Formats: sequence, structure tokens, C-alpha cells
Amino acid sequence: MSRAGLLRGVLLFGLFLLPGTTAARAALRVVSLNLCTDQMLVLLAPDEIAGLSPLARDPALSAVAGRARDLPTVRPSAEAVLRLHPDLVLAERYGAQGVAAALKALGVHVVMVADPQSFAAIRVEIERLAVLLGKPARGKATIAAMDATLAGLPQPVHRATAILLEPRGFTAGPGSLAGAVLWAAGYRDAASGSWIDLERLLADPPDVLLLPEAKGFPSLATGLLDNPALARLPRRTVPAAWLMCGSPFAARAAAAIAR
Amino acid sequence: MIAARGLSVELGGCRILDGIDFAAHGGCLTALAGPNGAGKSTLLKALCGILPGLMKPDPRRVAYLAQDPRAAWRLTVEEVAFLGRIPHGDRKRDPVERALAEAGVAKLASQRIDRLSGGEVRRAMLARVFATEPEVMLLDEPTADLDPRAAFAVMGLLRAVAASGRTVVVVLHAIELALRYADRLVVLDRGRIVADAAPLVALPAAAAAFGLRFGEDGLPHLLPE
Amino acid sequence: MRFLVLLLGLLFVASLMIGAAGVGLPAPVIFWQLRLPRGLLALLVGGGLGASGAALQGALRNPLADPGLLGISGTAALGAAIAFYWGLAAAFAPALPLAGLLGAGVGAIALLVFAGRAPTGPSLILAGIGLSAAAAALLAFALALAPNPYALAELTFWLLGGVADRTLLDCALAAPPILLGIALLISIGPGLDALSLGEETAASIGIPAEKTLRRVALGTALAAGAAAAVAGGVGFVGLAVPNLLRPWFGERPAALLLPSVVAGAVLLLAADMLVRIGVLVLPLNAEPPLGVLTALLGAPLLVVIARRMGR
Repeated sequence: MSRAGLLRGVLLFGLFLLPGTTAARAALRVVSLNLCTDQMLVLLAPDEIAGLSPLARDPALSAVAGRARDLPTVRPSAEAVLRLHPDLVLAERYGAQGVAAALKALGVHVVMVADPQSFAAIRVEIERLAVLLGKPARGKATIAAMDATLAGLPQPVHRATAILLEPRGFTAGPGSLAGAVLWAAGYRDAASGSWIDLERLLADPPDVLLLPEAKGFPSLATGLLDNPALARLPRRTVPAAWLMCGSPFAARAAAAIAR
Repeated sequence: MIAARGLSVELGGCRILDGIDFAAHGGCLTALAGPNGAGKSTLLKALCGILPGLMKPDPRRVAYLAQDPRAAWRLTVEEVAFLGRIPHGDRKRDPVERALAEAGVAKLASQRIDRLSGGEVRRAMLARVFATEPEVMLLDEPTADLDPRAAFAVMGLLRAVAASGRTVVVVLHAIELALRYADRLVVLDRGRIVADAAPLVALPAAAAAFGLRFGEDGLPHLLPE
Repeated sequence: MRFLVLLLGLLFVASLMIGAAGVGLPAPVIFWQLRLPRGLLALLVGGGLGASGAALQGALRNPLADPGLLGISGTAALGAAIAFYWGLAAAFAPALPLAGLLGAGVGAIALLVFAGRAPTGPSLILAGIGLSAAAAALLAFALALAPNPYALAELTFWLLGGVADRTLLDCALAAPPILLGIALLISIGPGLDALSLGEETAASIGIPAEKTLRRVALGTALAAGAAAAVAGGVGFVGLAVPNLLRPWFGERPAALLLPSVVAGAVLLLAADMLVRIGVLVLPLNAEPPLGVLTALLGAPLLVVIARRMGR
């Protein structure tokens, strides 16, 4: 048998192992491959989780780390995911692409989820996922809660300037989720690009420096935020996990940094 | 002077020197001869203490010229000569210039040794030994690579150095140089001293050690079998 | 030499005047907290690497010897990275340079044990390439295992190095071991000179090769190890500097030591200035790692030396 033939045989055998149709089961079995899909899944359909990505439990990264501790996780490998017989796999456009592609090739229902960069886009994505997961009501409630948080934030006429300085010197910049969070919190983003040098930041400092904060092990990227040169600027901190994904937690981040 | 009593050396389980009693005195040019593998170089190294487990004499008093003296870098002749003093923490210029003149390389002082002939390199290395101004010189084949004229010049120089009261021990392969210049010929064979006398007196023993005839055709000589 | 010192002084002053915030004297906070540590670290790291390169080349009698090429910087970065990402350095700051020293020491000993059997020539360089490949692989593995998700992306820093955005604390941590290492390496000048005539001659002069090699290993572990701990694996400085200086200062190893310290600092400071100017004049959205520049300088030089050795 040729190598290609052997491969096809193995793949067919894999398909054979998969469950037939989703209709036969009462609840969906859903696997999430990435941090951001983890958070959406926990918010919208916590009872139907067959596996979250391991990052979901990391308090430095995940806004749902507490809840994820009691939920199953699965390593992002096609084999490990297949063993769970998922009806639906959620994946992001970035990260674990190979796994998602392999699962798709094996006939698994893989849904690619966008990483929304604005609150409008977040609403759209929540709604779409809620329908996909069979929880439209829960989706509506989640959006309503997010909008209530946003509505409570002040929108001053004269906005203070702020720079959200992320690890490695990344900044919000126009069109980014962090930019949307800044605006929602009542600031004007003083950063022009996606990366800022500490010298440039200090040469023309913003009114407020906003820093994502994550308790965790050190890295050079996060160490940059502790540089003593930044110590004199007025600052506010926000849990880094809330800014990781276009999710309702972004609204909480805005509430945390609003003055 | 430099001396060793009952000296035995084993390297890699092989006995190279076997109970050697040797002494060389100031004012005397001592030549060491013998077939390949007789232990001449080993005796020289033992005397200067660079074999493991042997007493190390004061390196300013005893200087050593290795059989294959090469420099890792493209030093100038003057830099090589200065190495006779710099590692001892001393940069005096006079002895170095004297040494360059004595070794006949004063004119080459600023030349890089990678551009010199083998004989010139050998003399630059000798200049390094002279520059140390040692009381004892242990020289392993200082006339290798030299043409006869240069070899005579070096041997004549060593004679003069010895005559000035210093101790000079030279490993020589060219017996005729020993006959002409040495005060004393020590013949080694398989790790033992088989003759130790004035060169002419020691010549028959040397012939025996080399497995050659000894005869005269005008002058005493080693002759082919 | 006077020219080199003057050049170093000028470059250092200029380095305090140039940065992403523009050309000229910056605000005090930028001057004291960003430019000064950056300039000082470039001096320290450059000087330490220059001294290590000159001493290694002298001791191993090989113009290709370099703490980076031989893997000593690599093992140092490995040690430092482990101490850094697993929180040791956060708990006890000197753990960072100490782990760098430990890594460099292990690397240097591994290499010299090998060098003891095949002291010079290409075999040593091959052993060094093996060591640095192993160190780089283990470094990537360590960063992949590191608990912080950013760690793996920081592989470029540990492999290529840099002095940007370091603090005065980094300088204070690195300075004592680097300066001590430089002092130790300069003090073995006579041993290096003696070794240039071969091991037997060195022994006859009273400075046996093992003694010199041991002290070179210790000095390099201190200087290059601490340098890699705070600035990553900046390569080719130790290789390039002594080779660039030989036409001017001659080839006697001891005569190259002090000039190599100064020229190493000059080279690294100049490379770091190019990095800063690059961000100012080119449409780059991040500074190129310092090691990219030193490698671009050093790699052609390596080829030139290799060709000359082949003849």
C-alpha cells in the first residue's frame, strides 16, 4: 500500500470512530482550543464543555481561571481532541491552526471564532456563538450585562490622554481592542502606533499610564512595565486577563480604568 | 651548574630515563648525543623541571629552548626576544638588544617571524633564551634548520657564552659540531648514559650507540657501516 | 590606545545624547533611568566580551576563539534564563548574574576539559559549535517550558542580546563580576605570552598551560557569564575585537588584552548607537536586536579569518 493510501486508510478509520450525528445527544459536547474561545464558552455554555485549552486555568491570562479549575481541559492536539468525541470545536484564527485544520480534515465540525476588536464586534460574535451553541437567550443576557457596564462609564468632553502599555512595549493604537477599551473608559489614546519606546513615552508622557497587571512568573516583556523610569507617571492597573480577548471582560477592564 | 642524581623517568608506562647521574658545570659546553629515542630531550626537560613530579628550578636561572620552537602568533623577532623577560615581569631593553645582536638577528628585529626562514626563526628563539640572561641554558637542537654557516655561528656563540662562565647543555644530532665545539660529549642510549667524556674520547661509544663504524679520514668521524 | 580611549569617551557621551526620544540632552528621567544604564551596560558588556575574546584566543592559541562561538555565552544565557523565568532572580536579584556565572563556568570547564586533549585548531572550534548548539537548544526548551507565556518569544533576546530598557540595577548586578573578570583576565597576560611559544616553553618559564587555562576559564565565566546574564548572547564581539586590533597592536596576546577591553566597549557602544539611530531614521516598528548588528559585522570577519587560517 502506498504511503498516501495508508494515510487515507488511517484517516477513514479515524472518521469511523467519530460519533454519527449530534442530534442523537441531548447536550452538545464542545471543545475549545484557544484562550479566547475558552472564555466565550464558559460564559455562554458552561454545561456543555468537553474540554478547554489548558491556558484557561492560568490566572495570569484567563478571565475565567477560577471557574475553569472545575472544568475539563484538553491538550491542543488533534488526537487528544478526537478522543473526546466533540460535536463542535471552537478555534481562533491565531494559534493551534494545525490542530484545527487536522480536525476539519477528519470531518469534525470546527468553527473559527474572530477576535473582535470593538464592542460592536463583540456583540456580533456573542450573538453568533450563542445561536451556534443553542443558547440565544444566554447570549442576549450576556450582551445586556456588558452594555450595562459600558453605559455606567463617564464620557467626559475633555478626555485625559492615556497610554495602555502592554508587555514588550505594545500599546493600544487605533482600531485595536485596547483602543476601544480606552475610549469606553473615557480616555483619549495618546499612542500612535502599536509599539512605543520607553524613551518616547517619557519624552511626551500621557496624563495616565494604564498597565495590565498579571500575577505570574517573570518575563522580560512584563518586566518592562516595572522599569523604574516609569515609576513617576500616574498609573492605573487592570487585570491583564480582561484585556486578552474581545469578550465581555473588556467592558470590565474599561470600568476598572475609568476615573 | 645543573645536576640530577639517580634520575628515572617513565612516560605512559615506558621507562625513558633509567637512573641517570648527570651534572653540567659553568664554563663548559656540554653536548648530548645519542640515537633517536635515547632520552636526550627527556633529560633536558627533566633538568628544567617541566615533566610532572620533578623539581622546578628558578625559571630566571634556567632557560630552555624546545626542540620545535614555534610561535602561535605572528610576532616580530623583537617581541619573541622580549618573551625572554616579559613573562618574568621585566621589560628591560638592554638585555633584549644584546640578545638580538648575539643571536645575529638584530637587523631582523622588526620582522615578523612568519616571514623568516627556518634558520632565522631558530635564532630568534635563541635570542629569547639569551634575553633571559640565565645561568643555565638547556637547548634542544638549536642548530636544526640551520645551514652549516649559521650552525657554526650559533655553536661558536654558545661556546663563547659557556666560556663566560655559564652552563650550556645542547642536544646535538650533528656529531661533527660536538667534536668541533663541545667541551664534553655525553652519549645516551636507551635511557642510560653510555659515555661521558671529552668529545674525541666519547666518540667510539657514540659510534656504538648509533650502530656505526668509527674511523679517521684525516679527522675522526662516524662512518657508514 | 589613547585614540581608542578618546573614541570610547566620545561615543559614550554621544550615546547619552541619542535615543528614541530624539537627539540632544533628554529629560532627567530618560537620562538617568534609560540612557545611562544602557550606555553603562554597553561599556561593561563590550569590555567583558572583548577581554574574554582576547584571553581565550591567547590561551587557546586560536584566533577563532570567542565566548559566543565556543558556547560559553550560550550556557551562561541558559543559566540566567532559568533563574529569570522561574522567579529566582525576582526573589533574589543577584541570582541572575550568579546563574549566568554558573552556566558560563560549566560551559568553560566542559570546553577546557576537551581543549586539554586537543588544545588548538579546528577541533576545539567544532567542540565549541557543538556546545553552543546544545546550549541554544536547551535554552529554547527551557523557554518553552517556562511558566510565563511571553518567555518563548524572548528567545531572540537570549540568543542575540541587547542592552535596551535595562535598569541601573542590571548594571549594578553585572558590574562586579564583569570588572573582576576583566581584572583577572588582564592579570594573566604573562601566562598568555608564555603560552604563545608552546606549552613546554611556557612550563619552562614557570607558567604552566593548565594554570593559565584555569584562570582564563574563571575570568571568562565571570566576564562573559555576567554579560550574557544581563544582555543576552551578544555574539562576535570577543571574536572581532582582537582580530581587528592585531594589525595595530601586534599579535602578542598580553599586548592585546587592555586594548580589547576598550575596543570591545567601543564596538558594542557603536553597534547600540546604530540600533538606536536605526529606529530614528528607518521605518522600523521595533529596534533590531543588538546581536543582529554584531553578527553582521562578525560573520564576514569569521570567514576572512577562516580563509587566512586555511592557507
